[in-house]
Amino acid sequence: MKLSKIAALFMVPVLALCLVACSAPGGNAGESTSSDPKIAELTAQKPTNADEAAELYAKLMQKENEIFSSDNALWEKVFNAANKDSAMIEDGSNYGDFLLKTIDGAKDEFTADELKTLKAGAQQIKEIEDKLESLEKEFPGCGSTPSAGESVDASTAGMTAGANASSEATKFPSFTGKDLDGNDVNSDELFSKNKVTVMNFWFTTCKPCVGELGDLEDLNKELAKKGGQVVGVNSFTLDGNKGEIADAKDVLSKKGVTYKNIWFKSDSEAGKFTSNLFSFPTTYVIDQNGNIVGDPIVGAISSAEQRAALDKLIDQAIANSEQ
Amino acid sequence: MLFKAVKPVVQVALLIVGITMVCFGVMRGEADAVLAKAIRLCLECIGIG
Amino acid sequence: MDKRENTASHVLVRFRGFIQAAATLVTNIHLPNFAKGGIYQGAGKTVCVPGLNCYSCPAASGACPIGSFQSVVGSSKFNFSYYVTGTLILLGVLLGRFVCGFLCPFGWLQELLHKIPGKKFSTKKLKPLTYIKYVVLLFAVVLLPVLVVNDVGMGDPFFCKYICPQGVLEGAIPLAIANAGIRSALGHLFTWKLAVLIAVVVLSVLFYRPFCKWICPLGAFYALMNKVSLLGIRVDACKCVSCGKCSKVCQMDVDVVRAPNHAECIRCGKCIGACPVDAISYRYGLDVSAEKLPLTADKK
Repeated sequence: MKLSKIAALFMVPVLALCLVACSAPGGNAGESTSSDPKIAELTAQKPTNADEAAELYAKLMQKENEIFSSDNALWEKVFNAANKDSAMIEDGSNYGDFLLKTIDGAKDEFTADELKTLKAGAQQIKEIEDKLESLEKEFPGCGSTPSAGESVDASTAGMTAGANASSEATKFPSFTGKDLDGNDVNSDELFSKNKVTVMNFWFTTCKPCVGELGDLEDLNKELAKKGGQVVGVNSFTLDGNKGEIADAKDVLSKKGVTYKNIWFKSDSEAGKFTSNLFSFPTTYVIDQNGNIVGDPIVGAISSAEQRAALDKLIDQAIANSEQ
Repeated sequence: MLFKAVKPVVQVALLIVGITMVCFGVMRGEADAVLAKAIRLCLECIGIG
Repeated sequence: MDKRENTASHVLVRFRGFIQAAATLVTNIHLPNFAKGGIYQGAGKTVCVPGLNCYSCPAASGACPIGSFQSVVGSSKFNFSYYVTGTLILLGVLLGRFVCGFLCPFGWLQELLHKIPGKKFSTKKLKPLTYIKYVVLLFAVVLLPVLVVNDVGMGDPFFCKYICPQGVLEGAIPLAIANAGIRSALGHLFTWKLAVLIAVVVLSVLFYRPFCKWICPLGAFYALMNKVSLLGIRVDACKCVSCGKCSKVCQMDVDVVRAPNHAECIRCGKCIGACPVDAISYRYGLDVSAEKLPLTADKK
């Protein structure tokens, strides 16, 4: 009996180590795969249950992102044009229609070939959006996060070590949301206007998160000179929960924070990204193209080491943006 | 002894108090606060940092 | 009738190790998360587990009562947690320190460490140290998180942040192994907590359950409830031969015959096994019948 217990005692760490050793994280599990079926095929599919609908929803969203990323620079121009016209997407209208309108409004900025690519893309997005809408109608909630209530791991939370740090750019998932004052925000606009965006994820009852808000406010002022910004995301305020927004605003005003704090739908790609984060505070650095630079800073940036790491990422992001 | 007569009364009373406190706590949103904190890792709070 | 009751008590004691292992497994059921370096984020974490089990452990299936209490109390919204206190009162009345002896993962770990062969020391002369845990409960868990607050009215979870070795063992170490981001966040605080953990581990080899006896605020709360717990230990005065074997075998330094429901008794049942005349057994239920008759027994 005694011996077996001692054996058990030693087995526990051994087992734990085995588990860790076998754990080579799946790296880009969440990233897009190129061998997807055509959009027409996807939009023609008729899911029979909520699971299938959710899968299709995810595939379509991915397709949409692929369209944007395939001609990144062109779309960037479109989004910029959209900003100038200050045309905002209203709830309910088709995003593809909005894009088509914007492209039409700025057609003298593009060559005939470019226009053709953009219009084809926008048309496809329109079809996808139509399908997404009908899916939502038929299976409410199919676009919501499938991982809710499940375990998250480091790789899906975008926290794995340097594997994709320098070689491959990881896009921050695009989103449309609002700041805590109710103004519309969209990711492309948010990122493209600044050479670097420091995105800080926090929540209201996390003392170290609240503790570093003052430092982030200082950082925001510093970055403003370099053409950068700090943006906060309070994970309690996702989906625009009014009570949580009020609490968050209270904390922010007490800490003298003036930089933008935003929320988006938790069933959006960015929402899922945020739900998968589990350690707080976490700070991402994003360049002008909307790409995540390096690995996130986990933990408060108040310590000298963490701050140095953050500054390095910021410089890298500015360099990326100026390329 | 007096204590022996009182003890079961105290036990029942504590059970009732316990249940009442749990219900009251849930009502004023403490359970949600517990969940919100338990599914998010506040690094400094467990001694990382 | 007594005989059958005693048999049940003996069985419970015999399977204690397995019950401890099972309880540890159930409170940490999400084992694959160790490899993934993430934590479970489901609704199960609304509920407090009975033992000291860090909810930052990747595998944890529920919330640590001490951690939950401090996080509720430390937030600017609340100054006291009825939810967690109520849960603890219920557990205290229903089980008392049975939780320490049978259900607490950290208690089990200390026991396993104590099985490592080597010189063992008695803690009988260190009895005053057992009062430290009440101080820890009162200050580190209840008062400081409410009283020492920042400009926004938030307090630190003092016990979790500065004292709890279970948080390092279950939370910080596994997460740091599997997760590079968290690894780079380790600093002085972690070094301190690691030192606490190592100290507790070394002491556990030398002494029996040092953390439970001297530091654990959860044990302190259950200790306060031990006297009114439905689960108790009964000494049959008619059978007792006053041989003193029960007290000799007790590693929590309890004089079993004199005070079977002493605050330090973790209901491990070693005395039940040691008693040569089967005078000691568990009892469960409202304490209506007389049970503590050592003095009358002595007079006989």
